[in-house]
Amino acid sequence: MRIDQRRLANGIDLAVLQIPGRPVANLEIRVFAGYAYEDERYLGVAHLVEETLSKGTARRDGRALNDAFDEIGATHASFTGRETLGFSSLCLPEFLPQTIALHGEMLSTPSFPDDACEVAVELALQSLSALQDDPSELTKKLIYAQAYGQPLGRHPLGERETLERTGREQIVAHWRRCFTPRRMQVAVAGAVDPTAVADQLEAAFSSLEASADSDEDEMCGLNIQFVPKYSHHEKELEQEQVALCFPGSSADDPDYYVQKVAIGILSGGMSGRLFTEVREKQGLVYWVGAWTDQPRVGGMVHVGASTTPENLDRTYETLIREVGRLADDLTQSELDRAIAGLVTRARTRGDVTRARAAEAVEDLFYYGRVIPTDEKLARISAVTIRDIRDYLAAHPRDRLSVVTLGPQKLANGRMA
Amino acid sequence: MSVTSPFVVEQLSNGLTVVIEVMPHVQSAACGFLARTGARDDPPELAGVSHFLEHMMFKGTALRTWEQVNVEFDEMGSYYNAYTSKDRTFYYGWVQTGDLQRQLELLADMMRSTLPQDQFDMEKNVVLEEIAMSRDDLGSVAYDYLHEQLYAGTPLAWPVLGWERTIKDMTREGMWEYFTRRYAPNNLILVVAGNVEPTDVLRMAQRACGDWPHVDSLGTDRRSPPFRTGVATQQVDRFRQQAVLLAFPSVGATDSLYETAEATAAILGGENSRFYWNIVQKGISPRAGAFHEEYQDFGMIVLFGLCEPENCEKLLDAMREEAARLAADGPQEKELRRVKNLRRTSLANESEAPFYRLGQLADDMDYRGRPRPAEDRLAAVDAVSAESVAEYLRRWPITGPGYLVSVGPRVWPA
Repeated sequence: MRIDQRRLANGIDLAVLQIPGRPVANLEIRVFAGYAYEDERYLGVAHLVEETLSKGTARRDGRALNDAFDEIGATHASFTGRETLGFSSLCLPEFLPQTIALHGEMLSTPSFPDDACEVAVELALQSLSALQDDPSELTKKLIYAQAYGQPLGRHPLGERETLERTGREQIVAHWRRCFTPRRMQVAVAGAVDPTAVADQLEAAFSSLEASADSDEDEMCGLNIQFVPKYSHHEKELEQEQVALCFPGSSADDPDYYVQKVAIGILSGGMSGRLFTEVREKQGLVYWVGAWTDQPRVGGMVHVGASTTPENLDRTYETLIREVGRLADDLTQSELDRAIAGLVTRARTRGDVTRARAAEAVEDLFYYGRVIPTDEKLARISAVTIRDIRDYLAAHPRDRLSVVTLGPQKLANGRMA
Repeated sequence: MSVTSPFVVEQLSNGLTVVIEVMPHVQSAACGFLARTGARDDPPELAGVSHFLEHMMFKGTALRTWEQVNVEFDEMGSYYNAYTSKDRTFYYGWVQTGDLQRQLELLADMMRSTLPQDQFDMEKNVVLEEIAMSRDDLGSVAYDYLHEQLYAGTPLAWPVLGWERTIKDMTREGMWEYFTRRYAPNNLILVVAGNVEPTDVLRMAQRACGDWPHVDSLGTDRRSPPFRTGVATQQVDRFRQQAVLLAFPSVGATDSLYETAEATAAILGGENSRFYWNIVQKGISPRAGAFHEEYQDFGMIVLFGLCEPENCEKLLDAMREEAARLAADGPQEKELRRVKNLRRTSLANESEAPFYRLGQLADDMDYRGRPRPAEDRLAAVDAVSAESVAEYLRRWPITGPGYLVSVGPRVWPA
């Protein structure tokens, strides 16, 4: 595999992973246009942009645009992230030029038809209502809003009041401000020619307006304003949702890889501490887990579980105990397993072109360059028990942000 | 495409089927055991036993405690799990090529679980938590309610997870009796894919599984359930939205019209489909679609949507209107091309990783008794035509009353 990286003349950052013999090619595009960059009067507008981009361009209407993707068998998916909007496409290698051209057309010459904009707002309002039927997603919204401060604590769907005042004008404005070449990062993986890909991208995005000076500043990332607190949100549910978080490492911190291993020890597999102590030994939950959330700057460690109300306090106490005692009795075999999990998962996914492209675009987002897998795995493999202890000492868990959602409050919600 | 078959299929003398796909281009290997048993094989008083048993298979053997099972998976860094459906249970692990033997031996040992009593008692709580979790999910509640009503009185009626009552009342002895019958080697398939040497894999399989005793009577009595028409409503106040599902009988997985049935569901309710443009993009429902659910012997096609309670009538009318229009006018050429083109891409993607291939191999072995090369599967979807869709819709109409269920805060239809 060869990694080719370049900045195109118009400012787009491109990484091409040239992997011979691959039967598919994958295109990943990230645009710094996520919901953290919304005008606060129009929360939810980033998601509306994502939904309406595929509803028509200067050349064709929405159906014709989608049919054009189908004609070459290219999948196309998109998401609204906190800092970026993401566009992802899988196709046979011979159709990559058309796939790039279609993305260029969609992202740089959208027509945002009036009716599509109206429907997008209506559907977002309905999705907000559907969110009430999705306890785990609703809990995420609550913990982010509580723990992250603004603007990182927003939710992609926005709020009812802000959606009701948002329409085509605001959708166009968000697109115009954020869809500049300098705010775009692109990764392509497969049996492809980097120079050809670069030429195709330049041609495809040639009509985008030039970047503003403010783009560079905005792309430096936004800070978490951590708020330790406990809040309970009453809701009629069979299970109580528990979420807690505390500040962790940034993706560019030297101890970022140590954190990855620490999370692996807590929650990497069925022998992880949380699964063992909460589920296997006590039968308190079906689901329990720990993970990190990494904005461009900063990081947060999350722990979550869902359980019936009578088990809530025991579950919570066990979570707190396990997170707290990690530094005290860590064994080498636990450490080895956590490392093995990270290494094997990276190696097995190496067979998957789509996973390669996704990892490359993530690297562009955090580091501005692709870091070879071997380099990352070497850093993971070098983590020691001492590193984990130092990491835990540097990230105290005595100030937590905690949310419960369900019929019952915690008897003793530990907080700031 | 290669001209030599990448597949090896063998049967051990005890009846265990082994299927291997050689993938010389990959760095990893995956293996799994398919037990040809699922919720439709649960005895009624043990509803949920297949799924509960799946949990118990991780809970200890003559050689390993549950902790050792978990530790060993994680020592390899395996990507592993298991799932239970209405008609099968599948256990799998995806590892680096050099760990295949260890992964296979671990999974094989798990297939001879001792179902320890203390673990049985503990895991019962976990299954009850899983049931509680599924009841907080409108989609799961609606899916289970459709089966409960439509297939009432048959083994397809209960949820894969079982009922709270049958789980609470279940004994280890009842599970053991079921386990020894249904996990006989002659009811299991070992599936392996990766950069492997088939003779090595067969040797591993023989050593790990060769002494499992064949069982003459598996106690299989699968019957296709009758399909009724009807209407059922479940009022659940705590949900905001209403789920509306409309089901029609369809073909099974081995029927010659199976690919046509799948294509019909995709044209109605997949990506860039009629439902997307004429229901979702009309603001009637944020999520509407169609799926085909198939077993070896029968199937059904389900049109569904989630909506604001006041939109139920509009949603149902729109779904029926789309079904009627497709039946009357047939598919457009471009809709048929979409299905075929996307399948080409997905087959290429599937060929990249052993784990992706594993599920398809298990599916082919279970339903067809043989692995299918990508060329055959592509040919099957290429054979879908306006004529085959017309024939399918003539034999399996989606324009009648069907079976309608609605779950949510509104009592509708009254």
